[in-house]
Amino acid sequence: MMKHMKNDQRVIVLNRIIFILSLIGVLMATYVLQSWIRHASIVCLTGGGCTLVAKSRYSYPFGIPVPAVGLAGYTMLTILTFLRTMNEGLRTKLLPWVIGMGLFGVCFVSWFTYTELFLIKGVCTWCAVSAVNMVIIFLLAVISSHMQKRIA
Amino acid sequence: MKLAPESKLFLSIIAVTVAIVGIAAVALTKPAPVYTRYDLIPSDAHTLGSLSAPVYLVEFSDFECPACISAKPIVDDILKTYGGKLLYAYRYYPLAQHPFAQKAAQAAQAAGLQGKFWDMYALLFAQGETLSDATFSKLVTQLDLNPDKFSSDFMSESVKQRILKDVNDGNRFGVNATPTFFLNGKKLELSSYDQLKTAVDAAVKGLK
Repeated sequence: MMKHMKNDQRVIVLNRIIFILSLIGVLMATYVLQSWIRHASIVCLTGGGCTLVAKSRYSYPFGIPVPAVGLAGYTMLTILTFLRTMNEGLRTKLLPWVIGMGLFGVCFVSWFTYTELFLIKGVCTWCAVSAVNMVIIFLLAVISSHMQKRIA
Repeated sequence: MKLAPESKLFLSIIAVTVAIVGIAAVALTKPAPVYTRYDLIPSDAHTLGSLSAPVYLVEFSDFECPACISAKPIVDDILKTYGGKLLYAYRYYPLAQHPFAQKAAQAAQAAGLQGKFWDMYALLFAQGETLSDATFSKLVTQLDLNPDKFSSDFMSESVKQRILKDVNDGNRFGVNATPTFFLNGKKLELSSYDQLKTAVDAAVKGLK
């Protein structure tokens, strides 16, 4: 019984962490997207890397700017993690959706990191941080799923 | 509908985030300041073109930055096209993450003290991202510079201070990436370097 409660509490904490990381992702994606749309410069720890990435045609798959995809993904994750707080049923039912979004996110950031390194030959700091953020979200969602199974 | 305390907490955090984004949006839409020619092009700046030209283009750049290397042919093309109608100034903005950017700036400034800034500028950019300590001595020979004078100038405090002055000015003018261009005092926000030529073209023709 105690172990069950402990795992339940951990699932709640993990959902909080995923929620905060998703919101950080929303903020980062918004910041980068506005700079791409307004053609404004952004703070970039990799020097001209952010500019190089923003100006590359590879950064607009099907005409969609990469940060817009990030913003959509992180917003979805924020909504899902919020909905999971509504009741226990939703907490369980929506977890596969969080994992699915996280998996899509990991595939997307992997493709884009490859594109940055080998095709654009420049790295955007924000994209790199976002990639790490998405991997962490996915891993936390998977851990959460294992704990959820133990509770069940 | 009654919300769980956890949901209320999440909603509060979302509300705070939306407020932050709103405040940032207001701050970011403030019109960019316009700097004077005297602010952007001090008397000791490295310039090309006509000093009396009504149009002035200032670049804050780093010799080792890939984006600056990509922009260089466009700048060359602009200077070739509008040389007499434009004043172009190159200002140093070496970034800390590029291991040879500061040394490249020192090499350009030291070469400038022997009247060969623009030759060194062209050769440094021609190296692409392959700068190394060996590059500088090779370029000294290639440009037929006095090696002793170059070495002492390269290491001198006055050269380092001259570069730092450009960096401090860049920070004052809101430079946070390289290359950053100012056309007639206004910071350009470019989505491609071809737009740089279009902007200069419009300025020269008096459209802007």
